[in-house]
Amino acid sequence: MFFHIVLERNMQLHPRHFGRDLREKLVSKLMKDVEGTCSGRHGFVVAITGIENVGKGLIRDGTGFVTFPVKYQCVVFRPFKGEILEAVVSMVNKMGFFAEAGPVQIFVSNHLIPDDMEFQSGDMPNYTTSDGSVKIQKDSEVRLKIIGTRVDATEIFCIGTIKDDFLGVISDPGTTS
Amino acid sequence: MSDKGGKGGKSALKSPDGSAKLKGRKVQFDSEDMFDEKFETNGNGKSNGKDSGKGKGGKAGPAKKEPPQVLLKVEEELPENAKCLMNCEAAQILQGIQDHMVLLSKDPTIKIPSSFDRALQYANTGNFYTDPQSVRQVLESLKKQDVSDGEICVIANTGIDTTEKAFALMPSLKAKQIKVIEPLSAALTELTKLKESTIVLD
Repeated sequence: MFFHIVLERNMQLHPRHFGRDLREKLVSKLMKDVEGTCSGRHGFVVAITGIENVGKGLIRDGTGFVTFPVKYQCVVFRPFKGEILEAVVSMVNKMGFFAEAGPVQIFVSNHLIPDDMEFQSGDMPNYTTSDGSVKIQKDSEVRLKIIGTRVDATEIFCIGTIKDDFLGVISDPGTTS
Repeated sequence: MSDKGGKGGKSALKSPDGSAKLKGRKVQFDSEDMFDEKFETNGNGKSNGKDSGKGKGGKAGPAKKEPPQVLLKVEEELPENAKCLMNCEAAQILQGIQDHMVLLSKDPTIKIPSSFDRALQYANTGNFYTDPQSVRQVLESLKKQDVSDGEICVIANTGIDTTEKAFALMPSLKAKQIKVIEPLSAALTELTKLKESTIVLD
């Protein structure tokens, strides 16, 4: 799920950047430092949408660097337990399948795939129902429910399930091509 | 190999296939223990045998214990100053940023991170509506019935069109079923009208 949120960060700037463009330099550095990062509390910082406030700088002892507290608005993406996501399958194996929803990767174990879907190996590994009417393979779109999350320094991993009502394949690349 | 055993040369004989590495560790894979401890879960999903919308009825073992339902508790986990965005709203914001990226930054070293592109792609994929403001207006009315921001966003992001689907996908909403069902039904009808005619759902 996406969020709009105000965050704060202390930015250190080298004295060579001081001048008329100081604010621009700060914003550029903030974008470089923050966008694309990931934290457990907020999730992925997708984009900075605005600067709320740049506080007064504080000279660091022993160095010429100055620390500026910067308040900024940003769009973040974080998955939640219980959330329903529509994800694209990126890999299928006998243990289950991986799917991607935005920057987040979700693993759906074969225990959490409906029991009537069986793994079929081959060039295009897939899970298929016995009558062949439903197939999950690479690039399929699935609706899944997040049941667990784990946050790394740079990534968020999720466990999902499609073993519930109204979950499962919503579009099969095989039928459209 | 023999170095691993820790008991001199004998260990190599005991474990010619390298199984000494696993000695003393019992590894089990089943539905109860399948998650890494690092994963925060409060259940492993409901497995009541009814599966995907398109799949046939499952064969869930009757002896299995019903795991606790995973409830959506967005508000509890987020800071107060955070505002949930529906995919259609996020798509609009991110598209605007992408369009003006050149103007926003004169620094050529700033590159759009891959997570931005993936997020934008995801937001566009899950965007069923052309007018986010109208969608927000329709769904905001549900707040009077204690429908949370998180639930509102899931309703919009999944493009669900019936109350049955909404209650099945969000057990937290089902708890408020009695007071929510009528306004929710009305809101979903409104949303169907707003839905892009080009996108056909299952």
